[in-house]
Amino acid sequence: MEESDSGVKYLIGRSAGKSAVIAAFVATHVATMAGLWFGGVRLPQFNFNMLNGWLVLGLTADPVQTFVIGGILHYTSGIIWGVVFALIVHPALGRFIKPLAALTPTNNYIKGVLWGLVLWVISSAFWMPLLIDPLFGGGVVGPFLTKFGLNGVQALFANLLWHSIYGVNLGLLFSPTPAATRGSWRAATGVGVR
Amino acid sequence: MASRTLLVYAGIFLLGLVLLAIGALTQPYRIGAFTANPTPGSEAGESLIALGLTFVIVGIGYFLAWASPTQ
Repeated sequence: MEESDSGVKYLIGRSAGKSAVIAAFVATHVATMAGLWFGGVRLPQFNFNMLNGWLVLGLTADPVQTFVIGGILHYTSGIIWGVVFALIVHPALGRFIKPLAALTPTNNYIKGVLWGLVLWVISSAFWMPLLIDPLFGGGVVGPFLTKFGLNGVQALFANLLWHSIYGVNLGLLFSPTPAATRGSWRAATGVGVR
Repeated sequence: MASRTLLVYAGIFLLGLVLLAIGALTQPYRIGAFTANPTPGSEAGESLIALGLTFVIVGIGYFLAWASPTQ
């Protein structure tokens, strides 16, 4: 646990930015690995590394190259979404949803889970149908991911699981709390979080 | 208050376990799951498994956040 000058301490690092980058990297990695293991629990595999690789290199490129380049893109996206969450969404949620104003681990966790749900909607409603579907010639991905190749609506719920794993890890690891427990509770205004 | 909160977390976790169990028991295992051309899985069964695991993970996460020493 490290304490910053802003009166807020983080589980990782001394600033919101550093904490966000590390937390988002870990969250992305855990979720990505879980997606690759989905087959083990009878779910369709979610290989976001390959999907991102196909987007930039096409379907005919070398699979190893596709996986590595796609992985770099995917991890970068995961970290950036995490930083957006930590620096913009996290303080904003504290302002707009009063019960989430206090900087407690539980509130931080709930915010992470909510962010995971938002990313699930973005992924299912836009990313998959608008970018991945045309890649395969159309008709492969249904509206709001109600179809994904051989899979039906289970793809949508597997995607929910994937993004929940990301949100859970992000919310648990990016956890700003007041540095002093007495006298300097600034959480309600979000001061010191940025 | 704390015990009620814990009960809610336990409820989320247990709901996930129930959904997971129903999903696992009602859907046939897809043939060739780890090959390039597996047979289609059961939509309802796999959806329940995914939803169940989501609740299980969110429930565990709630408990971990609640049990954090910085709370």
